[in-house]
Amino acid sequence: MSNGMKLILLIAELVTVGSALIVAINPNILYSAVFLLFAFLGVAVMYLFAGADFLAGVQIVVYVGGVTILILFAIMLTQWLYRLKLKDIGSKFVIPGVVLALGLVPFLHRGLTELGKMIQATPPEKMAEFAASPKTQAIGKALLGTHVLPFEAITILLLGALVGAVWLARPRT
Amino acid sequence: MPANSALFAQTLTQWTQGTWLATVPLWAWALVSALIIIYMLALPFGGIATYIERKIAADMQDRIGPNRVGPFGIFQFAADAIKMISKEDYVPPGGDRFLFNIAPVLVVVGSCAGFVALPLGQYLVAGDINIGILYIMAVTTLIAPGILLGSWASENKWSLLGGLRSAAQIVSYEIPVALSMLPVILISGSLQVGEIVKQQGWNPADPIHANAHFWNVFHNPFTVIAFFILFVGGLAETNRIPFDLPEAESELVSGFNTEFSGMRFGLYALGEFVDVFVMCALVTTLYLGGWQLPFLELDKFWITLPSGLIALIHVGFFMGKTLLLVFVVMWLRWTLPRLRVDQLMGLCWKGLVPISLFNIVGTAVWMWAFKGQSMIQVLGSLFSGGSASH
Amino acid sequence: MNVLDFANSIEGYLLVSSVLLILGIFAVLTRKNAIGILLGVELILNAAGINFVAFSKYHSAALEGQLVTLFLILIAAAEAAVALAIILRFYRLKQTIDADEASLLRH
Repeated sequence: MSNGMKLILLIAELVTVGSALIVAINPNILYSAVFLLFAFLGVAVMYLFAGADFLAGVQIVVYVGGVTILILFAIMLTQWLYRLKLKDIGSKFVIPGVVLALGLVPFLHRGLTELGKMIQATPPEKMAEFAASPKTQAIGKALLGTHVLPFEAITILLLGALVGAVWLARPRT
Repeated sequence: MPANSALFAQTLTQWTQGTWLATVPLWAWALVSALIIIYMLALPFGGIATYIERKIAADMQDRIGPNRVGPFGIFQFAADAIKMISKEDYVPPGGDRFLFNIAPVLVVVGSCAGFVALPLGQYLVAGDINIGILYIMAVTTLIAPGILLGSWASENKWSLLGGLRSAAQIVSYEIPVALSMLPVILISGSLQVGEIVKQQGWNPADPIHANAHFWNVFHNPFTVIAFFILFVGGLAETNRIPFDLPEAESELVSGFNTEFSGMRFGLYALGEFVDVFVMCALVTTLYLGGWQLPFLELDKFWITLPSGLIALIHVGFFMGKTLLLVFVVMWLRWTLPRLRVDQLMGLCWKGLVPISLFNIVGTAVWMWAFKGQSMIQVLGSLFSGGSASH
Repeated sequence: MNVLDFANSIEGYLLVSSVLLILGIFAVLTRKNAIGILLGVELILNAAGINFVAFSKYHSAALEGQLVTLFLILIAAAEAAVALAIILRFYRLKQTIDADEASLLRH
């Protein structure tokens, strides 16, 4: 991979982290949602560089086209125009939040270093070949072959979620 | 990076071999081609489309239309652009300046990025990526947040209503549009636009193309329906009449772009026209054979044509089909009345979604029953006494 | 190892995903707004997805990790739809989406 490509990946990672930071700490919920969109885009680019081209497309279609729109829609429906109450970080939880979130760091560090010892290094040429191969067909075959059971379970889950969401949001009779 | 950029790189190295151009890195070429796509294709199309739309509207209403700037008023779009650029840069006082600024940019980026994967000709695809269709769907989803955020940032009731309508409409109609693309993907077994178009050539005399069939719209009865659903869904996704509820003049002043003026309004208008073009080009690619000429293949012509001419003719045919669809879109604008919101949602969820699900099952059954042959191939083998082997 | 190589290594991916996880947990803990909590959950799910995709390339060079991420994206979409339906319902009931107000087991 050329240095230019690596630079693009680095920028995508920085955008992801920076946007996630704004999502977490910006008191304005609408800005959080907007920067969540940029975080999703950054993650999609990271997927692309990890050889997951199909997943990157799915990530954008589902998250940017679906989830973000739904979230923005819900924000705009519930925080109606002239009753703006967008500031919403509960002050009494900030200290415990920081402590708990930072308390995770040693655990994550320990776990990841242990994992790092277990990984046997994949040969770089195999990795490059995997990253360059198109995935759509392979994923399709896997979904209807070896992974057909989770696939069917997901379809039932999606149907249930669809019906449940419609039932929950129905107008009050 | 994915192998798909390999073709682009290979072509480039062939062209630039032995010249100083060979030292220019690949990313610079990518940047230059992106700029060329935006400035040479997307922007002029958006500008000229406004002129064409006004002329068509004038014709249908028995008026003359723009006729002052240049011959037949053809430079009207340039005058409009200059007017928009020189207007005051205005942000509503209560509005959100940051979102107000990025919203039109999202719309333009979303619609122009789709150009990258459009197959203008046999070898004229900026990036023939192997998730081409998915890529176009993915980048055009950026339009919906652009409209929604712009409507919120305007601090205006009508804008917000228009934006909410638009979001609901785009999210809903994304489903029948995606489902109507699936029959084509079933038939061609690929998401790559170049591959999809290549399979739509038709030349029974040529044994190499024995698997190729005619345009996908005539592949089987279900794809005929899917073609129309895709077109109708595309109209709704681009907020065009009869689905232009987000900017319904008689109800919402001007909908989500009420507060936008100057070049920001221009970006919205441009984004809409470019989006219409991308949508029509996508329909052409998937169902109308892309750059394929009906009934003949130029490289098997009885006289050998220079390859440059063939490429030009291919581009001409692709553009011709696409612009014909664009004309239909503009024609519909002056023909059909606007739907109500409940009719719009009813049409999508009760009409288009079930029919397009039915289409997918129908196409799958057809592919299984006739071994992937198209309607024309099946009829042909019937009339030739069933001699054609499967 | 320079910054560019670090970005293109499994450590880079895991670092990004850890940061996303921590920020997501922080958002879930500190937000009062129910939608804000949902934003945090989305960050956490994305962190998990990055991990699976990174291991799929750098560890095994096999497809399984990507399949798990695909399922994860679909589950996240379903979860967001149901959560937002609940939030809208709650808003209709209480005229607020402050998660602290959701303290009753009936309506």
